[in-house]
Amino acid sequence: MSTTFTLPQRPFKQSLAYYLGWGALLALLTLSWEGADMRPGELIRDSANMAKFLSGFFPPSFTEWRMYANEMLITVEVAVWGSFLAVVCSIPLGILCAENMVPWWICQPVRRLMDACRAINDMVFAMLFVVAVGLGPFAGVLALWINTMGTLAKLFSEAVEAVDPRPVEGVRATGANWLHEVVFGVIPQVMPLWISYSLYRFEANVRAATVLGIVGAGGIGQSLWENIRGFNYADTAAILIIIIVSVSMIDALSQFLRKKFV
Amino acid sequence: MLDSPAISVNRLSKSFCRDKKALNDVSLSIADGEMVALIGASGSGKSTLLRHIDGLVQGNKGSSDHRLCCIDVLGRRVQSCGKIRRDVRRTRADIGFIFQQFNLVGRLSVLTNVCMGFLGRIPAWRGAGALFTRDEKLQAMEALNRVGIADLAGQRASTLSGGQQQRAAIARTLVQRAKIILADEPIASLDPASSTRVMETLSEINRLDGITVVVSLHQVDYATKYCPRTIAMRDGEIAFDGLSDKLSHDFLVKLYGSDSEELILGRKLHPKPLPDAAQQVHKLMKHEALTHAAV
Repeated sequence: MSTTFTLPQRPFKQSLAYYLGWGALLALLTLSWEGADMRPGELIRDSANMAKFLSGFFPPSFTEWRMYANEMLITVEVAVWGSFLAVVCSIPLGILCAENMVPWWICQPVRRLMDACRAINDMVFAMLFVVAVGLGPFAGVLALWINTMGTLAKLFSEAVEAVDPRPVEGVRATGANWLHEVVFGVIPQVMPLWISYSLYRFEANVRAATVLGIVGAGGIGQSLWENIRGFNYADTAAILIIIIVSVSMIDALSQFLRKKFV
Repeated sequence: MLDSPAISVNRLSKSFCRDKKALNDVSLSIADGEMVALIGASGSGKSTLLRHIDGLVQGNKGSSDHRLCCIDVLGRRVQSCGKIRRDVRRTRADIGFIFQQFNLVGRLSVLTNVCMGFLGRIPAWRGAGALFTRDEKLQAMEALNRVGIADLAGQRASTLSGGQQQRAAIARTLVQRAKIILADEPIASLDPASSTRVMETLSEINRLDGITVVVSLHQVDYATKYCPRTIAMRDGEIAFDGLSDKLSHDFLVKLYGSDSEELILGRKLHPKPLPDAAQQVHKLMKHEALTHAAV
């Protein structure tokens, strides 16, 4: 004789929520179809045109590679300085954003300021700084600095809020002041995480810096934009390959460093 | 003996939530150079009391009379009426605090952890930059040598065993040149051999350097062995304050009832439920505690 099992039944309320959730997602996608101008059919119908367009990229033309490599180097240098300035500023700002380190009337205003830095895209900042300091890589450095500072300060403060309070209390018990507690109790604990976040942001900044040139803020973006607009797809392909190789190399290097520190 | 006691607590109360008091009208006085055990079951208020003395927690406001609800250490006010004094850091520099979980910074070297003892005494900017002089580092090495772990100075604190970490924490209080050591369950996370080692170190510091030591324990054996005087706590009140010799087995059973099993480990206990008798003894002892504090 075999025992009969009753399968667990999902309560009505729970299953209703389940189907409503899927329904809501479906409705959202349908409603956005028009606005997003979705025309998947054209991808197939005009595939011949696409192929012709793509064939323009081959073979890539590396005749100007020295100039592109030099511009790529400038792009990385913009990312290096933008990230460095952001990390340096995010150390105090990250502490000032942490609820467990400062009273709310410091923490909240600093947080809102960082929200503002983060909310505005680095391209927008780049356009503004081009007006303020003139065309060139320096505008790009400033744009990356402000935007990255907003992100890193938030990430840094989250790490600070998660520290073990006991070593900090151990430092406090020696008669140390607030700054000593930060230097000896907090920073050693958050260091691996902070380094990891900083390297991530550096990687992201190299990618971001490749397009800053479009608005005149230095780097390889300018050549990229000019070649696309001039229909020089062979040169465009060469630039894209240079970007892919450089970004991959930097990602690998940064991953290697992250593993060393964590 | 000094005019003012090393530690004086006057009618301190503390409640973390509304109805239950973690400390209830606690008064005590500890003279310079004493070695005192603070015993009691977990949750009896030992840690809370020690943390109040170091000004890490503030007591209830109590009355507005600043002579009440206050704590003085070495003649300096730590807190009164629920307010910690602004200059508490100066007092803390004279108090070495030892924690149950050691509270060292695991990623820093043992030597740096011990050098933190200087933070309250050297210029703030030098401390903030971790710029300890060669002489200070040598003093830290001397302290580590005294607790027997000088050979581990270069290692990260997190790589040490529990007993070694606790001895590093004691070295930190030595570097601090603390006049008082408050030890909050220093041996609760250690094995018996390390426990003996740590208690012996504390007792030696008390004997040779004349440093006042208050150590909270939940094993009576260690209290009677190392501390001439014991203060016993129960439910946030002082239930006994006197010579440790008086703490006989029967007395503890009377004092703590079924809780006494936690205090007398390694001995089989069958406490008889004697609620009336226990309460009477408790009252009597509380009276004794108050008279002792008044003296």
